[in-house]
Amino acid sequence: MNIFTIAAVEFKKIRRSKILLIMIAATVILWLPNVLNADLNFDMSDIGISPEDSFFIQGFMGMAWFIYPAVMVVTTVLLVQTERTNHGILKMLSLPVSTPVMCLAKFIVLAVISAVFILLMTAGYYIAAVAAGTLHDYIFILSPAYVLPFAGKLYLASLPMLTVFWLIAVCISTPVFSIGAGLVLIVPSVLINNTKGWFLYPMGYPFYLIMSEYGEVAENIGKNTVDLIPWIPVAVCISLFCLLISCLCFGRNERR
Amino acid sequence: MSFRLECKKIRRTGLAGAFIAGSIIAAALPVINTAARPDTFTSMAGSPAAVLADSNLQIISMLNLLLITAGACILYHMEYADNAIQKMQSLPIRESGLFSGKCGILLPFLVLMFVFEAASLCFCGGYWLNAGREELVEVLQTLGFTMLLTLPAAVTALVIASACRNLWTALGIGILCIFLATMLPADIFIASLFPYALPFQLLPGMGTDRVIHYCIAAVCEAAAACAAEIIYLKVRRLSA
Amino acid sequence: MNIIQTRNLTKSYGDFTAVSNLNLHVPKGSVYGFVGPNGAGKSTTMKMFLGLTRPSSGAFVIDKMSYPHNRVKILREIGSFIEAPAFYGNLTGEENLDIIRRILRLPRSSVDDALELVDLTPHKKRLARKYSLGMKQRLGLAGALLGRPPILILDEPTNGLDPVGIHEIRTLIRTLPEKFNCTVFVSSHLLSEIELMADHIGILNHGHLLFEGTPEELKEKAAFEGYPDDNLEDMFLALIEEDNIKRGGVK
Repeated sequence: MNIFTIAAVEFKKIRRSKILLIMIAATVILWLPNVLNADLNFDMSDIGISPEDSFFIQGFMGMAWFIYPAVMVVTTVLLVQTERTNHGILKMLSLPVSTPVMCLAKFIVLAVISAVFILLMTAGYYIAAVAAGTLHDYIFILSPAYVLPFAGKLYLASLPMLTVFWLIAVCISTPVFSIGAGLVLIVPSVLINNTKGWFLYPMGYPFYLIMSEYGEVAENIGKNTVDLIPWIPVAVCISLFCLLISCLCFGRNERR
Repeated sequence: MSFRLECKKIRRTGLAGAFIAGSIIAAALPVINTAARPDTFTSMAGSPAAVLADSNLQIISMLNLLLITAGACILYHMEYADNAIQKMQSLPIRESGLFSGKCGILLPFLVLMFVFEAASLCFCGGYWLNAGREELVEVLQTLGFTMLLTLPAAVTALVIASACRNLWTALGIGILCIFLATMLPADIFIASLFPYALPFQLLPGMGTDRVIHYCIAAVCEAAAACAAEIIYLKVRRLSA
Repeated sequence: MNIIQTRNLTKSYGDFTAVSNLNLHVPKGSVYGFVGPNGAGKSTTMKMFLGLTRPSSGAFVIDKMSYPHNRVKILREIGSFIEAPAFYGNLTGEENLDIIRRILRLPRSSVDDALELVDLTPHKKRLARKYSLGMKQRLGLAGALLGRPPILILDEPTNGLDPVGIHEIRTLIRTLPEKFNCTVFVSSHLLSEIELMADHIGILNHGHLLFEGTPEELKEKAAFEGYPDDNLEDMFLALIEEDNIKRGGVK
């Protein structure tokens, strides 16, 4: 059976899950304080960044370091618990679908939700930039030709992180451990990004990308270069490994 | 009675293991941080408590809040998952007793986390920063203050978890609250009273008046959260 | 011709053997009643057929296909209902069935057909978590009947239903082979219930098959061995009791 058909089924399963509300609330919580404190962006002469760049980077930094990974952990909990509550997974396993395909279809759902979240954040940025501009009579809006490709890069950079979260959700069946492990992995990403081995830690990729962009647009901030080698090969290997193991482990607990 | 019952209920949920593992991770952070760059710490101005708090306590509080949120969600998830809550509601016990039992479970775990973290910070102070007895007492006071300020977040996390049947909804709201705490401006006193923002307030360098205000606020907020839970339970029963 | 056949099928959990050297023969087009007390190994056997649990030893063949090589092909032939009803509480009854329909690549009308069969049409727009126990049971049954599969595996399908519901479901099961040209493998812990539906019976106790044959053969065996043959339920209890005594006095 086509993986996209299964993915469509998986989307149907998360109806009425309120995940969209959580994402919208996160967007508001992120951008509202940025609008209210937009005047701080005019006082960045020591950093050497324009107010509009500062407004954009500060907001996306807040997103990438905590709320984006954390909402993705919540989404993995949603995907796993939807199956476990009322034993829906038992029915699924007794249907003629290959379990690895089902696992991958669920990962597609996770990846699409993450894309929606980044789109919401980007839309939130434009609304916030308009609001902040009206408040301070200044144009905070950056060109979509710059913002959208950057959001796209951020999304691609976060895919390895999603595979790690998905692996944890599939392989650790005790909810407190899978949630705890996912959340705890987010915290040290800032510390690890300051080391030379940052490319080994997928949870830090989105934040690293933003920090490197910060270095590009601000004159007095140290530049974090993004060397595609070894980053891309390592990221691809980590992602494939995580997806492979999660496909092998999916449904194993229910099939004992 | 309800505490003993709750102790029984958390068997095989992994809660104790998760808190012990989380405590070890949180305690390991200052040790790794200080061991990796001891010179930076010894050259910093201020008392050992101030130096250690400035460099570690924010991240430790973050970990504590994440663990508390996850723990609170699990404590109520085990009631909702197989509809055990219905059985509990049909037994001759007060539903508020269930909540206090959950508090009785979560709070000792909170203390356990702080014991690990205190041991770790005292070790760092004594080993790298040559802290004497008085300075170590200051480290303990700093952590005691943070622990008191974490109480409202713990009780609030339980209130949220008790109100949400779905694990991810409670977790999502908890995560949003933690995120909101990180987004609130630190210099506005009223904003810092948000239950999830309180644990990020550091004792070293804080005026006595401010300390007293925070302590009173923490106790009041924890009590208010308990009251809110009791009211919520009454409303839920009436509207059921 | 047997549509389901097992050879020394065994399932052990540690030192506990749930199913021991089971040799079942389910004829095509029949209603096969699988009877045994709670914990006899009925659900475990059914779970093995569905690939929900792996056999410790032995093998089984379903419609000439063997497990685990043909797992997906086997599942394409089977409609199942195992233990407690499995569903998504956040979805309506209709949406739950639609999920199964899409996976089985069935036409949209099959959902209405299944809902009609189990008399759930008036409640199809309600959230499944708000269903009564009986309605959840019917929803599970509708999920099994969806697309009218050639083999139905039903684990205690009348649990939680009221007497009218039990009668309806029993009648439905009885008529299924004729209506849909299918084979029904149905379990129960009540021989009296199975007697009203099945044309072949297998009796399981502590994982061992005590009897397999038609109800008439069961009566003949009972008469031959001196069990009360006027009431099948008494005969069933006597059979189980004697087997328990043989196994060390467990009653």
